[in-house]
Amino acid sequence: MSTPLLSVEDLSVQFDTEDGVVRAVDGVSWSIEPGRALGIVGESGSGKTVGGLTLLGLTRSNNTTIAGRAMFGGEDLVAMQDEQLRQIRGKGIAMIFQDPLSSLHPFYRVGDQIVEAIQAHSEASDKAARARALELLGLVGIPDPRARLDAYPHEFSGGMRQRAMIAMALSNEPKVLIADEPTTALDVTVQAQILDLLDRLRRELGMALVIITHDLGVVAETADDVAVMYAGRIVEKAPVEELFARPMHPYTWGLLRSIPRLTGSREEPLLPIPGRPPSMISRPPGCAFADRCAYVADECRVAEPILSPAGTTIASACLLPETGRRSAWSGLAAGGDTDAAFKVLRGGK
Amino acid sequence: MTRYIIRRILWTLILMVAVSVMTFVIFYVLPSADPAQLRAGRHASPQQIEEIRHKYHLDRPLLDQLWFYFQGIVTRGDFGISYVNDQPVAKLVFSRLPATISVAIGAAVLWLVSGIAIGIISAVRRHSRLDRTTMSLALVGISAPVYWLGLVALYLFANDIGLIPILGGSGSYRPITVDPLGWLNSMILPWIVLAIAFAAFYSRLLRGTLIEVMGEDYIRTARAKGLPERTVVMHHGVRAAITPIVTAFGLDLGALLGGAVLVEIVFNIPGIGRLAYDAILHSDLFLIQGTVLLAAFFVIVANLVVDVVYAYLDPRVRYE
Amino acid sequence: MQIGEGREIGVQMIGIRSVVSASALTAVALTVAACGGGGSGTAGQNMVADKQNVAGKKGGTLTLVASGDVDYIDAGAAYYQFSYMIHYATQRPLYSWAPDEITTPTPDLATGQPKVTNGGKTVTVTIRPNVKFSPPVNRVATTSDVKYAIERAFKPNVANGYSGAYMGNLVGVDAFTSGKASGISGITTPSPTTIVFNLTKPTTNSLIGALALPISAPVPPEYAKKFDAANPSTYGQHQVSTGPYMVKNDAQGNASGYQATRSIALVRNPNWDASTDYRKAYLDAINVKEGNSDSTVASNQIIDGQSSANGDFGPPPAILQKLYLKKSPQLVGAASGGIRYIALNTTVKPLDNINVRKAILAVSDREAMRKSRGGAAVGDIANHFLPPGIPGFEQAGGVKGTGVDFLATPTGNVALAQSYMKKAGYPSGKYTGGDTLQIVGTSGGNAQKIAEITQAQFAKLGFKTKLVLVTQDAMYTQFCNVPKKAVAVCPNVGWLKDFNDAQTLLDPTFNGKNIVQVNNSNWPLLNVPSINNAMDAATLVTDPTKAADAWARIDKDVTAQAPAIPWVWDNTENIASANVQGVVNKFNSSWDLSFTSIK
Repeated sequence: MSTPLLSVEDLSVQFDTEDGVVRAVDGVSWSIEPGRALGIVGESGSGKTVGGLTLLGLTRSNNTTIAGRAMFGGEDLVAMQDEQLRQIRGKGIAMIFQDPLSSLHPFYRVGDQIVEAIQAHSEASDKAARARALELLGLVGIPDPRARLDAYPHEFSGGMRQRAMIAMALSNEPKVLIADEPTTALDVTVQAQILDLLDRLRRELGMALVIITHDLGVVAETADDVAVMYAGRIVEKAPVEELFARPMHPYTWGLLRSIPRLTGSREEPLLPIPGRPPSMISRPPGCAFADRCAYVADECRVAEPILSPAGTTIASACLLPETGRRSAWSGLAAGGDTDAAFKVLRGGK
Repeated sequence: MTRYIIRRILWTLILMVAVSVMTFVIFYVLPSADPAQLRAGRHASPQQIEEIRHKYHLDRPLLDQLWFYFQGIVTRGDFGISYVNDQPVAKLVFSRLPATISVAIGAAVLWLVSGIAIGIISAVRRHSRLDRTTMSLALVGISAPVYWLGLVALYLFANDIGLIPILGGSGSYRPITVDPLGWLNSMILPWIVLAIAFAAFYSRLLRGTLIEVMGEDYIRTARAKGLPERTVVMHHGVRAAITPIVTAFGLDLGALLGGAVLVEIVFNIPGIGRLAYDAILHSDLFLIQGTVLLAAFFVIVANLVVDVVYAYLDPRVRYE
Repeated sequence: MQIGEGREIGVQMIGIRSVVSASALTAVALTVAACGGGGSGTAGQNMVADKQNVAGKKGGTLTLVASGDVDYIDAGAAYYQFSYMIHYATQRPLYSWAPDEITTPTPDLATGQPKVTNGGKTVTVTIRPNVKFSPPVNRVATTSDVKYAIERAFKPNVANGYSGAYMGNLVGVDAFTSGKASGISGITTPSPTTIVFNLTKPTTNSLIGALALPISAPVPPEYAKKFDAANPSTYGQHQVSTGPYMVKNDAQGNASGYQATRSIALVRNPNWDASTDYRKAYLDAINVKEGNSDSTVASNQIIDGQSSANGDFGPPPAILQKLYLKKSPQLVGAASGGIRYIALNTTVKPLDNINVRKAILAVSDREAMRKSRGGAAVGDIANHFLPPGIPGFEQAGGVKGTGVDFLATPTGNVALAQSYMKKAGYPSGKYTGGDTLQIVGTSGGNAQKIAEITQAQFAKLGFKTKLVLVTQDAMYTQFCNVPKKAVAVCPNVGWLKDFNDAQTLLDPTFNGKNIVQVNNSNWPLLNVPSINNAMDAATLVTDPTKAADAWARIDKDVTAQAPAIPWVWDNTENIASANVQGVVNKFNSSWDLSFTSIK
């Protein structure tokens, strides 16, 4: 494993609001190597998007407190001056967003928006930048790119817009591309195309891809490693195969059981996780997932679990006994219900 | 677009006809004064008044009068005669236009520039002391009656009755063609007074929309591209936030060109507003018609221009 | 003529043209200072001096600050005090009024007083042989020019407002106005310097009075005819002058100095010969700046400024008070020859009962009405209908009044009013009938206050009223001037003299024979045969003293009928810059531009 390209260490982001301090990201660490893809999974409000934006300094304001480090090219993005960070945006680290329609400026032609991105980081002439924009549109698979260059975002289809967004993000050959829910707003068929595109580009261009999503399916398709976030923290981190095969956190179980599996029978019920995420302002003591956890034990209400190895490649933040969890998941994976898993988990104690 | 504009121009003509018909009807339905008596004078006998009534077609049914009126406009470009001023309406209105245009355009430039600048600064530096100060002042500017502001300005700065007599006061208007410096000198106070109210409104409007726009996804995209903040604000934020300003500006300027009544009265500027005011005061039917038509013309044209400019500003808008 | 009331924001009063202002000393700013009527009553410190014959310095330019425009720049149509200021300085009628003169007009174009013969039916006037028209006409004015001037005034495209009333008895007027004759046969010009007027009735006073109005200023037919062919006539835009000043014009006679509703530039008339005129003409030029509708700003411009004077408006109460208390020489009041009253329709129930009218007059708080205009500073409370300075005023009782009990208490006398109500058949002393009285007033400003105070007076006696407020023009032309509308009470009417003759005040307003269906000015619709006949007889009295006595008796009789609540004889207030040596023309109650000078 090579040296990390981007290494996030104990990153915290707090917002001062009228209702109190929101701890959106609370001590998150992860890293990524060139050419790899990291999936960050979580429900909305879990802090996954805020974390991404914070790396680019897009959450900076008078009301935000940011702590921790984010090392990129030997420098700390968190401590960096605005102007220096600006130069990294789009060039060192690029980002694409969930809704490509609202993320593109409605009043400017798509080509011009790409040209602007190119010229933000280079002295390229208009002509050269335009030629590059054309090339990029071709690269992301937009048909008849020459004509599309002068079209407005509203004249594009949803998938084409996201391709255009990707083209724009790629314009300065970033080392890291953060894709925040890149397919959420798209049709299922288009989703797959976009994910294929991202995957292809990552391989061809050798960039690192951080894909932020609530959808484990997306992760399964694109990521090498996965970090599961809940209430501002990473609760589980593992290579993608390991996570799907042997998840060690009840929250991950919940996530996995709530998505349709290609291997599962049609009659298999989808099981949403009951309850809601805790308040980010006044978080109760103990495990943040305790209130929603079917296997909650007394100590979960008291002690705060920390992310710790639960196998060779997997790390998990759960206070429940490791062996019990392993057996419980086996039962769940085999189609057993929560009660059975509960018994297994408690029995294994 | 061309077809759209042609259709709009046709609509404009129809609207203008409708406006004058309405003016006629209002004039006759509401208790307005009798033009024939006004024209005839105090000691005129009923016979003399009837003679005048007949001469000016005032004894004809409303429809006939309208017909004569439009016939005059179409065949002779004759907008009628002002009973009170004894002059052709077209000539009176035309002679008043330069003053009104001077007031409107000058004030418009001033309020647009200052309103936009203040709006941007207070949106970008939201909650700063500067923002709080300018927005409080803007609230005062919006609430203060123009007439009162005008009087305050006169008593402060007019070179005849002001405490610091530095600028031309009430009645100092000179045509720009005759005396450019005198024109400028006489225009500064009216411009400022008029601009204060509008700039206050525009800065608050722009501040509000710009704050909203700066929260949009495409602003985040612009920042993520690594654009300098200045470019993000001006090129992406203001560009999107300016559209309501353009709409308001077009309509305000159009309305002002139809006569800035209060300012023209306080500063004694011989413009359309004063003319219209006096015309209404004296029940001077054709002059009322003339000024109403002109005002309607400006407002309708301003609407058309706003729509066309809007299509240019927002490519999502297309007219059939 | 009727009185106007300014309605522009901040303006006390301005003259409104046409009906309202269309009258000789029309609807001027009658905001008034604390001075009584000329020579009688409470003589105030700021009243115009008896003799103003101070020599002035030659030269300088006076700025006349005005709110509105002249009614007509054409002297033949003008019928407005402010217009007269301009026209008496630019035109030479047969007669005009020297500043201090209030009884007899001074021969102007004429060489002496008119000769009256044929039992008052023929008037002969001789004119100067050496008065020239201003450029581009440049020739000597003759009597044919005077004849043409009067004839054109009768045409509807000139529409003079008083020609019919005062000259309508000239022989041949009907034939002329109906188009059967090319001229008025009653005006003949035996020689270029002699003009003869023949009347069908001996209404000499009216005719001679009118000869001192701008209508008799000569107009050169060969030059004016092409302009008079237009409808309306465009002669005003090309008018030539005989007076010391003229509207600045170009070589074709186009009056470039007149910008309607904006400005009037008067310059010296190069053809004027001082030796032929009693006018002094000290000033080199007069600039009229119009459109100053804020009377506070305009007044301050005059008082704090240089070489300025007021045109058509009066200072607002606050400034008036300040100047009055300081006894400032910059403020000069002059009796306007006008009266304001609240007309009671004598044909509408229950106002057709004279005792009801007397009760209303008795209960009325006229002091409160005057207070709403500015209190004692604005003029004397009117106790009858002839104003101070008009022959007959003193004979009718002067400031004190004619002696009727129902006008004895300015603040109102409830007990007396109730006794009149009892006489009228309302034993409780209060009105118990079912009629609702319609009051039509002018909206806004002082006028509205008067209307509201009026309503309150009626309420004191239990009357039900309905107040309708409209613009001043509408109030007159659509309501109060139209008998068919049967408006019960017109609280905002008033009348100003046309010249110093009681007839011009009482005949149009209280003579039942003058009631017409349109443009009526006998607002109470008073129609008492004995009064009507007395007026007709008085009109024909030529001896001034006897005429004054006759009109004084009529005034008393009218007052006894209680047709209206008279409440103020107000004055015209004139203000000028400190460096202006202002001379007031007592006839016109305003600055005399031909005698005013710059110190």
